[in-house]
Amino acid sequence: MTESINPQAVMDFLKPRMGARFKTWVDICTHCGMCADTCHFYLANGRNPRMIPAHKVRFLKDLLRKKGRVDRAYLDDVYKTVYYECNVCKRCTLFCPFGIDIAYLISILRGLLTSQGIVPEGLARSVANYKASGNQMAVTDEEWVETLEWCEEETAEELVGLKIPIDKKGARIMYTVNAREPKFYPQDIMEAAKIFHVAGEDWTFPSGKGWDDTNLAMFISDTETSRMVAENTFNRAEELGVKQIAITE
Amino acid sequence: MDLYSFVEGPLLWIAFLTFVIGTILRIVLFVATARNMDKPMLQYFSWKYVLSTLGRWILPINKDMAKNPFFMPLVYLFHVCLIVVPIFLAGHVTLWEESRFEWSWTALPEAWADWMTLILIAISIFFLLRRLISADIRLLSTLSDYLLIIVTALPFVTGYFLTHGTLGSMAFLGDNMSLIHMLSGELMLILIPLTRLSHAFLFFFSRAATGIEFGRRGYSM
Repeated sequence: MTESINPQAVMDFLKPRMGARFKTWVDICTHCGMCADTCHFYLANGRNPRMIPAHKVRFLKDLLRKKGRVDRAYLDDVYKTVYYECNVCKRCTLFCPFGIDIAYLISILRGLLTSQGIVPEGLARSVANYKASGNQMAVTDEEWVETLEWCEEETAEELVGLKIPIDKKGARIMYTVNAREPKFYPQDIMEAAKIFHVAGEDWTFPSGKGWDDTNLAMFISDTETSRMVAENTFNRAEELGVKQIAITE
Repeated sequence: MDLYSFVEGPLLWIAFLTFVIGTILRIVLFVATARNMDKPMLQYFSWKYVLSTLGRWILPINKDMAKNPFFMPLVYLFHVCLIVVPIFLAGHVTLWEESRFEWSWTALPEAWADWMTLILIAISIFFLLRRLISADIRLLSTLSDYLLIIVTALPFVTGYFLTHGTLGSMAFLGDNMSLIHMLSGELMLILIPLTRLSHAFLFFFSRAATGIEFGRRGYSM
């Protein structure tokens, strides 16, 4: 594939992200190799030098030098590296003498790919769901509230008097879940409700957007959606006036 | 003006000024860019995390030290020699005393300076060999990585020959060693702000930035 990429678009993405840290890190890495054996991809691939964290961010310097003049095949190479050879754990940073945040640079590369429409399929689907419904599984508000009511009924048979409070203002804890729970594992919601009930906690679920505490948009550096997801949760917490947000296991 | 007086005079000024002004400009550029584009770093600025991370990495009390007990001591030793010898060498102190500034400070005993120079040269050779031999580091290395090690070691190699007159029998080198020594030192000074040797000062800013980032998440690095 030699599909052409607009160099201007590449540079337009990178330029506003070239802050003081970015520039310094791209500049001062002395290729000392201290990060090599801190990376589990490096260790799990028979100490393959191509898995050295410092090597994985070579694309950034290269893209700047080429002023964004690369083709689709090049970006496909970047894709393989930033999605399949790094999971942004930041362990290499703990051992970098300069404290270079390699994962941050990888995130910028992921964002660049996202801006060019190169995104892992599953994540692209989830992110589209966030935009449409506020959660990654496209559960509607009605389905969500219905699920909670039905969970309450079932669990109350076991623990008499159990309630799953929805939108209870001034509760101490607002509980949030992974959208997979209402979709596939409602028993997880019931188990959590039992614990809250037995512990006598003052807690609540929000009924509106913000109850999904996953943020998969972050993984493709879609900062706009990522911000929306986080803000949904904080907005609900503020509306309900809770003291803490608890997230599912 | 002959070459010698040019290298000894104007070029030395150019080199020192490039080093000093270049360094200041890069620091100013870092701070100015950070104010516009790295706001979280300034918003969460904390001396506690900055000093803790700098302390741990300027002194050898960090994670790398435990992980690489052979390599890291050499790295520290290299940098100590690199900074101490040129500043405290008796010959250099004398030059400062004789200069228009008439600055003076305690000099390093000559035997120490000799040994530290030899240690620095030996470690430089080790760094070069490591780059060539280790498959990991070879893949990471660019031409400039090799050249910068040579640029850094050269003032020490030429300085050693100069003080010991070892190459006196080789006419050109013997006659011009102090010229070559000054040129190599000036080259290094000029390259510090322009190349990744700038880690000499950007180290502090880079570590501070990451120290704040990890610190505000509750991990002091």
